[in-house]
Amino acid sequence: MTRPALPFILASLLLTAGLLAVGLRVGSYETDYALIGRALLHYDARDPAQLVLIELRLPRLLLALLAGAGLALSGYVMQAMVNNPLADPYLLGTASGGALGASLTFLFVPGLTIFGLYAPPLAALVGALGVTLVVVVIGSRRGRVVPTLLLLAGVAMGSLVTAVGGLLTFLAATEEKLRTITFWSLGGFERASWATLPYPAAAVGLGLGALALLRPRLNLLLLGEERATALGLPVARTRWLLLLIASGLTGAVVALCGPIGFVGLVIPHITRWLLGTVGRGNMVFCALLGGNFLVLCDLLARVLYPPAGLPVGLVTALFGVPFFVYLLRKQGG
Amino acid sequence: MLRQFIRRFAGFSLLPLLLLAACRPDTSETNTTPAAETAAGPQQLRDDLGRTLTVPAQPRRIMALAASMTEMLFAVADTATIVARTQVCDYPAAALRKPVVNSYPLDLERLVALRPDVVFTTTGITSEADAQRLQELGIPVYYQQYETVEDIFRGLTDLGRILNRQPQARQLVDSLRRELQAVEALPKAAAAPSVLAITWTDPIYVYGQNTLFTDKIRLAGGQNAVQEKFAQPYPALTREYILKMNPDILLGGSFGKLDSTFFRLYPELKRIKAYQTRRIYAPTDDLMSRPGPRVIESVKELRELVR
Repeated sequence: MTRPALPFILASLLLTAGLLAVGLRVGSYETDYALIGRALLHYDARDPAQLVLIELRLPRLLLALLAGAGLALSGYVMQAMVNNPLADPYLLGTASGGALGASLTFLFVPGLTIFGLYAPPLAALVGALGVTLVVVVIGSRRGRVVPTLLLLAGVAMGSLVTAVGGLLTFLAATEEKLRTITFWSLGGFERASWATLPYPAAAVGLGLGALALLRPRLNLLLLGEERATALGLPVARTRWLLLLIASGLTGAVVALCGPIGFVGLVIPHITRWLLGTVGRGNMVFCALLGGNFLVLCDLLARVLYPPAGLPVGLVTALFGVPFFVYLLRKQGG
Repeated sequence: MLRQFIRRFAGFSLLPLLLLAACRPDTSETNTTPAAETAAGPQQLRDDLGRTLTVPAQPRRIMALAASMTEMLFAVADTATIVARTQVCDYPAAALRKPVVNSYPLDLERLVALRPDVVFTTTGITSEADAQRLQELGIPVYYQQYETVEDIFRGLTDLGRILNRQPQARQLVDSLRRELQAVEALPKAAAAPSVLAITWTDPIYVYGQNTLFTDKIRLAGGQNAVQEKFAQPYPALTREYILKMNPDILLGGSFGKLDSTFFRLYPELKRIKAYQTRRIYAPTDDLMSRPGPRVIESVKELRELVR
């Protein structure tokens, strides 16, 4: 079953626009649409309300959008790569590795700066890619990624990393450090700024571009390894490429937002339910849907618990899981 | 289970007695002091959380599970009766000579081995689950809770009564009051500057409205920039919220330190008045975070900063 994706993509874009319009209004400053219009068209940085709109709220919304897109795409790729619907960006330990990296800096890097750079995002990226590398090394044989092995290695390393993270939390000397670690292990968008947005933007852009080129291979892979090989697909090389894309996407997101669960697992499923398994517009739609989902979750988080908002990772699960269960039941019946 | 029930029930039945006691005219100034009364039997106490506990008439072995409370005990109690300190208690210097009981995670075995008659602590430091566990092991835990400087005076007075050291406590509180009056008598700025005190930068946690800081900064001639009351005493704030508050003064580190960390992480916040006028200071951590007998010292320090 394959449906034309265009109407879905257009509807998603409309939803994105609507969410951005609502999202720009939520915060401590009162901002009506006239002011938002002025800020967008004739930005005046001297007006604190306009500064807040342009420098704080807009990057935050865009970061949520990009993070959702990146995680959803990463999940989509992972599920295709190992041909298992349970795969998600957590599978490779990428997300938990990122959280661990950030936590380590809070405990061991005085002043939180390394060579003049703010350490947590750097460490998160290193942690994300480092743990992924270990999982991949365990999960491959003679240069070939073995999906079942990869899944097991991912689960095992995930437990280990979670345990080390738990140990750090347990040993955290002060309540504040504890809170920071908690914050970094649940994710959030409060650090959003124009200076750091290019990284996830580039990751999502490059990811989408590469995946557009790889789409035929991805779909062949979904037929199973034997048939894909029979049809002439270099399975090993394709898997490596996809792995690189998935961990790059997740790493870029985790480095800025912390690990945010659930998006990468569920959004690809919803995409396939709506558009079919091998649809042409699947990836674009998946990215948009993931982005919209996280923007919505962040909005909920901020409305429910102002001003700082609940950690977004909590909201994705609290609101996402019941919805997912509903879909599962409906699908089953 | 049954024992717990009986204990709880006993607590309830004690309540009317305590209320009765509270209604009696204050006799502490006359010869029939509570000390003389309680010398006969153990004291039935009600702590700041409303928990009831039984403590010997004259506690001989005491300790605190909070750094601020250790300071309180050293100021009021007979220091020979203090049997231990926790790993974070480092003031006064005499405290360092006491054996250490780890408070987080709580080293129950070592604590029990020291056989304290009563353990003092403050809310937010010792979990009620830990306190419950200690009570089950026969060690009463007395909580104090402070939102104002006056609460600390009351806390010191209460300690004096429980430990039979009323004269020492009264002398201490009287002298602290005199110091406070001297500070309050100093000339003040016409408009109290708004002061934001941060405790952590990522995410940004601050001293909320319902913390002792609010009262201390008021006495020092300023006002807490956080006027809204949040559920958490130390709420997390967004950059937007801080921009809107636009505090006159920022506490949490020297200008140079915050410039290279806090304001590097959040360059948008450089617009706040505190940054523009470079009124960014580093008050002493322990004075800020410990509600103890050095509270007036803390108020004085804050006054020097906000002047």
